[in-house]
Amino acid sequence: MTEAATGSVLKYEVENGVAWLRLNRPESLNAVNNELRHALAEAVKRAERDAEVRALVVTGEGRAFCAGADLREFQERTGAVEAIRGEYESLLLRLHGMAKPTIAAVNGVAAGIGASIAFACDLRYAVPEASFREAFVRIGLTVDGGATWLLPRLIGSGKALEMFYTGDPLGAEEGAGLGLVNRVVEPGELEPMVRSLAERFATGPAAALGAIKRSVNFAAGATLEEALDFEFLLQGAMMETEDFQEGVMAFLEKRPPNFKGR
Amino acid sequence: MPDDTAMGYENILLDRNGPVGVVTLNRPKVLNALSPALIAEVTDALSHLEDEGEIRAAVLTGGPRVFAAGADIVDMAERSPVDQLLRDQTGRWSRVASFSKPLIAAVNGYALGGGCELALMCDMIVAGDSARFGQPEINLGIIPGAGGTQRWPRTVGKYVAMEVNLTGGQVSAQRAYQLGLVNRVVPAEVTLRVAVDIARQLATKPPLALRLAKESVNKSLETPLSEGLSNERKNFYFLFATEDQKEGMRAFLEKRRGEFKGR
Repeated sequence: MTEAATGSVLKYEVENGVAWLRLNRPESLNAVNNELRHALAEAVKRAERDAEVRALVVTGEGRAFCAGADLREFQERTGAVEAIRGEYESLLLRLHGMAKPTIAAVNGVAAGIGASIAFACDLRYAVPEASFREAFVRIGLTVDGGATWLLPRLIGSGKALEMFYTGDPLGAEEGAGLGLVNRVVEPGELEPMVRSLAERFATGPAAALGAIKRSVNFAAGATLEEALDFEFLLQGAMMETEDFQEGVMAFLEKRPPNFKGR
Repeated sequence: MPDDTAMGYENILLDRNGPVGVVTLNRPKVLNALSPALIAEVTDALSHLEDEGEIRAAVLTGGPRVFAAGADIVDMAERSPVDQLLRDQTGRWSRVASFSKPLIAAVNGYALGGGCELALMCDMIVAGDSARFGQPEINLGIIPGAGGTQRWPRTVGKYVAMEVNLTGGQVSAQRAYQLGLVNRVVPAEVTLRVAVDIARQLATKPPLALRLAKESVNKSLETPLSEGLSNERKNFYFLFATEDQKEGMRAFLEKRRGEFKGR
């Protein structure tokens, strides 16, 4: 599949088991207008449902990752508020909840909803010039897009509140120091590096990768006792997968495993 | 030993896993819509399990994807009140609630409308992490007819019960767990297995005590405290007349596991 189904503001391609979502409004720093928001929600839904897709990458065309919501459309209040909310929630909940690894390749500024998209992914790799920014307060707004939940869990509430109160950007290097960015990568290296990692996930034991994410998400709302129970039960299910058999055989035979995602 | 074919069931599966009976709603193409035929088969299967002495507990499930997404709307759309009364579809469900052995619901995916009410008739609920509970009847111009307005408030209190019954919105497995509607949230792959494990544990316990414990707890939802306590005491005294009480206490003193016969 290529971009046809979701329109040119978002390129969607599945390559070697990885769904690539490329925000494609470079002239507007990939700001999210109604069309792009809708396309993003649809693309993430499609990637979640497509069994061929075993990992997902979000990145931006041009020099920005995503500069946030498109304020021009915002001012005109085009689109029903409830529909807008529904699409944003669907997008963020799926990125965070889908049982597949999700990666943000942050190629430039990630502000507002753009930062939220990066925060909702499991992993973030960024170029040195990239930055994260929650500038809502500068126009008299509170923070939304799930950032009040996501960001404190990634960098702690003190740092998160500082970003929210000041609206100042957080650079990639500082983000790496805080654990927000997994690694800072030179611009030319970002895509090859993320591609290699995502394709490694895509050839991995899909059920186990999904189970890891489900367990981490379950644990976030559970006690240690409940999390132990959930982990134990999922491990039992993993032991019945073909990939586990293959993993054990490969280990015993001292060869790399050939996982099938079953 | 699955014998649903011998019973001629077309809408459910009935399996016996040692002392545990497993009833599976089996109309996956229509998300286990609760047709009159399906309801008749569930109640028939439970009647059999009730009568079989070797069956000590049961599990009710909808399979791996969905518990039951509600009643058969196609079947219901044009009915009159008299049709409804004569068929008494929801009244027939009373067989589920009156089942005297422990009955555990294993819920994956949607348990909506009649499906949710069916789960609420069970004694415990094990939910897969994908489970969703709700009473969407309000959106069809009706209200729940098999206990939705009664069992929700008795379980989660008035305010959440109002929310569920008035808005028609859904409750996730995690929220249901926090509300006390669900005993355990487990990975969806193992929901049935966990429910059967719990049922197997219960199957090792003294059947008459299980039955009276279940009856006493259910009675508490219908009686003033003094009456419930009095009822509990009578059941407590009665159990001293059973062989299993003698065996249970002797085994405890001898530091061994009791072997219960249901006598």
